[in-house]
Amino acid sequence: MPLSSYSTQFERHANALTAAERAPRSVQFARFLDSGFPSRDEEHWHYTDLTALSDRSFEPEGQTAEALPQPLLDDADALVYLNGRLLSERGAADWHSDAAELPPPSRGVDALNAAFATGGLRLRLSQGERLTRPLQVVLISRSDAQPTMSHQRHVIELGDQAEATVLLDFVGDGGERLATHFFELRLGRGARLNLYRIQNEAAGGTLVARIDAKLSRDAKLNAVTVDLGAGLARHDLDINLAEAGAEADVAGLYAAQAGAHIDNLVRVVHSAAHCRSRMNVRGLVDERTKAIFNGKVLVQPGAQKTDSEQRIANLLLSRKAEVNAKPDLEIYADDVKCAHGATVGQLDQVALSYLRSRGIPKDVARGLLLRAFAIEILDRFDWPALRARVEANLHLPSELTTDFEP
Amino acid sequence: MAANPQANIQDVTAMVAGRKLYSAGFITDIEADKVAPGLNEDVIRLISAKKDEPEWLLNFRLKAYRRWLKMTEPDWAHVNYEKVDYQSISYYSQPKSMKDGPKSLDEVDPKLLETYKKLGIPLREQEMLAGVQNVAVDVVFDSVSVGTTFKKKLAEAGVIFCPLSEAVKTHPELVQKYLGTVVPFGDNFFAALNTAVFTEGSFVYIPKGVRCPMELSTYFRINERNTGQFERTLIIAAEGSHVSYLEGCTAPQRDENQLHAAVVELVALDDAEIKYSTVQNWYPGDENGKGGIYNFVTKRGDCRGARSKISWTQVETGSAITWKYPSCVLRGDDSVGEFYSVALTNHRQQADTGTKMIHVGKRTKSTIVSKGIAAGHGQQTYRGLVRILDSAEGARNYTQCDSLLIGDQCGAHTFPYTEVRNPSATLEHEATTSKIADDQLFYCRARGIGEEEAVSMIVNGFCKDVFKELPMEFAVEAQKLLAVSLEGAVG
Repeated sequence: MPLSSYSTQFERHANALTAAERAPRSVQFARFLDSGFPSRDEEHWHYTDLTALSDRSFEPEGQTAEALPQPLLDDADALVYLNGRLLSERGAADWHSDAAELPPPSRGVDALNAAFATGGLRLRLSQGERLTRPLQVVLISRSDAQPTMSHQRHVIELGDQAEATVLLDFVGDGGERLATHFFELRLGRGARLNLYRIQNEAAGGTLVARIDAKLSRDAKLNAVTVDLGAGLARHDLDINLAEAGAEADVAGLYAAQAGAHIDNLVRVVHSAAHCRSRMNVRGLVDERTKAIFNGKVLVQPGAQKTDSEQRIANLLLSRKAEVNAKPDLEIYADDVKCAHGATVGQLDQVALSYLRSRGIPKDVARGLLLRAFAIEILDRFDWPALRARVEANLHLPSELTTDFEP
Repeated sequence: MAANPQANIQDVTAMVAGRKLYSAGFITDIEADKVAPGLNEDVIRLISAKKDEPEWLLNFRLKAYRRWLKMTEPDWAHVNYEKVDYQSISYYSQPKSMKDGPKSLDEVDPKLLETYKKLGIPLREQEMLAGVQNVAVDVVFDSVSVGTTFKKKLAEAGVIFCPLSEAVKTHPELVQKYLGTVVPFGDNFFAALNTAVFTEGSFVYIPKGVRCPMELSTYFRINERNTGQFERTLIIAAEGSHVSYLEGCTAPQRDENQLHAAVVELVALDDAEIKYSTVQNWYPGDENGKGGIYNFVTKRGDCRGARSKISWTQVETGSAITWKYPSCVLRGDDSVGEFYSVALTNHRQQADTGTKMIHVGKRTKSTIVSKGIAAGHGQQTYRGLVRILDSAEGARNYTQCDSLLIGDQCGAHTFPYTEVRNPSATLEHEATTSKIADDQLFYCRARGIGEEEAVSMIVNGFCKDVFKELPMEFAVEAQKLLAVSLEGAVG
């Protein structure tokens, strides 16, 4: 029976809980059983089918090495989670919570996450409080002997005028695994959050992450997302500009490795007038990777003077690769400025010949142009150490791709 | 247009005065020979028998019906409507006085001809004025063709233009070869329904190397109460041929919702070109959204041959719900697909329309220009798919879809799907949404142009890219139609 392994796991998980803790989780799990994993029939999952997970069996715990896959960034405080458990911390003990705050009954992966959820990051800043050092949250997903799964819920709550810089550092480290992470972001009036999300899921790993953000008056969210890695990753970034003057700026880059499946859904809801949103996404798609980017701007009735822009640009570099891009607009107000654009193409032949005519070998020239294409997003990093790390990890196909000659 | 605003104003004012109420909203009282409401295999057998159809066609219908029974009505479109009760629809009706078939136009029920006169297509005059207005009209009145003109002239060129039911008898090999090859019987819910019960429609065959001597035109009209119309149009352009086909629609005013689920199939062989233009002006319902036509149509063109071209141009101003995606399958190398659309929704109208361009062949090219206008409480959706398969070496697509919002109660939405599997393909999508600029409006107002006229002018300018693709007669009609449809949207 599909999902039966999840039922067994949930029974075991629920037995360890008190009756009061169990009730809401049972509701969530029943919802999950009812809806199952999303299939391609669901509009938002049109290009990513998770139903194959139904018959898999993931253990909640597993023996695994505790080493860090890469050193922590020097200039940040840090929380390190390994398969959903706090492994270590550096100057950030206050920002961890074992308890998870459950959402109202949901469905699909949201419900699965809620049924099993453990705690994680809980960053709460009061009015005017500022984090002096950026916070690096490392979320390692690793399995050695048998497939395991973990589900975490995180909270970031900034009071009025509070400011923080947070890095969500997803690291897949081999083996078959399922990890889900849900983040609830609440930004008070005038609060400012710089959020970096770096994803490096390994082959065999499945990562589903959702970030729900709600912005109050004049709050600002700067989000920079980078998808590397070779696993299956699905990210939802759901931003609600709830009050006037709120602003969201999303910059994204995907440059995954062979075999990766990267699905991004970024949704910005303009619920109030005078809000601004920007979405600038670039993709380098190569070698059996499948990249999906769904952008959506929804302008609610009455959200006049909305100013929004979506730009999606892709370079498709291999015959075996695939790009699916969809910049949606849904608009219910008339005095708005909304533009969107999407392109899929190749490197500029003129630029390439220019470089080659000056004696630069083709591979080097290609590498240069690809880097230049990615730099627009990299330039958005306001954290030099992190930028250097991402740039070093960036997979820029040059001589690797031989199956296509433009 | 801007060169002579005065003439335009007079034009628009006169029209607004003359057509303030939906002028095509009248009901002709003709006894209809119609089948009791409901749908089952017997009804399909009856339709087939009444049309005197061959065995294979009946089997085709039954196959589609059986598939349809297993299908569920799709609900992904961005529209809301009361679900249709398919058992309350009568699937066949025929004007009674037509039973024996008219030998010539003189035998046609005079009441019927009167109806067309009111609609502005004087059939009899057209035949007389053949030399002046070079347009052949195959009139569809509630499922059965009343009269077909210009047959002779077309026959001289070798063009076949007749009702589909007639083509089944006269050219069975062509119909059997192509029917259902572009839109398979189980393609979607409404296409399956259409395949099971279609009763009328046009058949066009342009032989090799022939350029059709005139623009072909069918005037569709839904009349009988409670009769959904299920036309089926099949156009085949053989190697090196060219045809331009016009489709215009209007329907009488009703309180009930009427379902319209047509299927249009186009086949273009090597070097052939088909231009298909539509002006759709069915009854949109009143200001409160009561009544109006449901327009759920499957239109698809197949560029089967190399260097073939299919171009869709549509002006959609009518219908309560419009749900259609005229598409091109670009199979032949170097084939070209085009889609030009103006869709307007006013009052409570809803439209979910767009196109699909499926690139299969090498160096295939597609262009999409879509202009959506939402006014009043109208909801306007562009939904498009551009799919470039891995075989489509060097394919190119350009998409532009703009939306114009008039009033703060309407909605304009864009859902552009792009799927690319070939790295040598280039694809661009651009879209903007805005309202009519105050400075443009002010400019016109300062020159003594009324607000409504100014809006009409600006909207026409917004749609110019599409209107210029329309054949002459349609372009004029389309501009007038927009002005009338926008009536009451401003102020």
